[in-house]
Amino acid sequence: MPHIVVLVIIILLASVVAGVVGSLLGLGGGVVVVPALSLFLHIPIQLAIGASIISVIATSSGSAATYVRDRLTNLRVGMFLEIATTLGAISGAYIATVVHGNVLFIVFAAVLLYSLYPQITRVIRERRQFAKTQTRPPGDTLIASDRIATSLALGGTFYDPAAKRQFIYGVRNVPGGFGIMYLAGIFSALLGIGGGVFKVLAMDTVMGMPIKASTATSNFMIGATAAASAGIYFLRGDVNPVIAAPVALGVIGGSYIGTRLLSRLAGSSVRLVFAVVMALIAVQMAFKGFGIGG
Amino acid sequence: MDAIKQGQGETKEEILATTAKLRRMELVVSAVLRIGVLLSGGVILLGLVLFFAQHHGAALDDITKVPFSYQPGTIIGQVFHGSGTAIILLGLMLLILTPVSRIAVSIVTFAVEHDWRYVVITTIVLLILLTSFALGKAG
Repeated sequence: MPHIVVLVIIILLASVVAGVVGSLLGLGGGVVVVPALSLFLHIPIQLAIGASIISVIATSSGSAATYVRDRLTNLRVGMFLEIATTLGAISGAYIATVVHGNVLFIVFAAVLLYSLYPQITRVIRERRQFAKTQTRPPGDTLIASDRIATSLALGGTFYDPAAKRQFIYGVRNVPGGFGIMYLAGIFSALLGIGGGVFKVLAMDTVMGMPIKASTATSNFMIGATAAASAGIYFLRGDVNPVIAAPVALGVIGGSYIGTRLLSRLAGSSVRLVFAVVMALIAVQMAFKGFGIGG
Repeated sequence: MDAIKQGQGETKEEILATTAKLRRMELVVSAVLRIGVLLSGGVILLGLVLFFAQHHGAALDDITKVPFSYQPGTIIGQVFHGSGTAIILLGLMLLILTPVSRIAVSIVTFAVEHDWRYVVITTIVLLILLTSFALGKAG
């Protein structure tokens, strides 16, 4: 066990990475924080999960401040779908008492691997298009809003500095997205991580939003979902101050870097990084489900 | 882009009008989040520095085994005694409250904009969130 100051510095550095990845992809950063703390630094798992919940809130608030100002976040979509995620978070607490954890991890991994294929084919298609036309692909096919999305006025717009153009996009399949968001809430309450992946998939794949708007809106939403569980973890004493402090500070710094990266990267590059991290999460979850490693 | 022009859904102009109306909301929400992050980050940093000044030779085991009080009242009491640990916990509490304040402030802003449907939607979210806090305490 290293000296406490060294330990705090290692946690701080790992958390900067978590903040960059989390703010770029709309995830909480738990995918980095939990294994870094529990596998490499041998910190008890419940304290690692407590710190991970703090990292979710720090990533979300830190990056959403910028994304909301720069309009990457679709506030109306985010706030509407928060009904589904917060309800899911409450349901999750009860489902945990009925279903065995391992089953959930395996289901989670299977769903991610299944969603990986369309992501990869989209990246390949966009890269080919780039090679042919030599114009930077937007990484997105824009669609018109359907009836429900129109009645809720969910369509959005943002300027993408990387593609040098303004996107005006519609939204479709609100009930489908609502359903996946409910599942995202359940998973984040049950497993401590993973809410963000499903939120991005719900908006990008199911509702047809641009990838950058999806990760930025997911970022905005995960803070609210996590705040519910964070209060519970905090009062239970699972948020250790000396572990959570460097996590919070590192993640805030990392999210500052990540938000600047997102505006510079092309949509298809964001999708590629997202697909890679998705595969890593799937493997991590499958290992947990089959009881290998922490 | 073409799909937007021809679609029977929201037109380009409607989307631009909706998002233009949302500008004030975006600036308010962004400011609340930025203040929350800077304030909690500053408090946590101060607490961490004080903690190191107060616990020179501490090992991780000492820290994970020391029973802290996580009751907000007790934490605030200890903050006034200059406890680094308590100041970190105060900062973490402020961080957890940031997304909750963001929701509360957006209810008010939607009301100012007379966007009653989103006043209802955001109020439902806040109520669900408060319910889950209460359920957590009870369980």
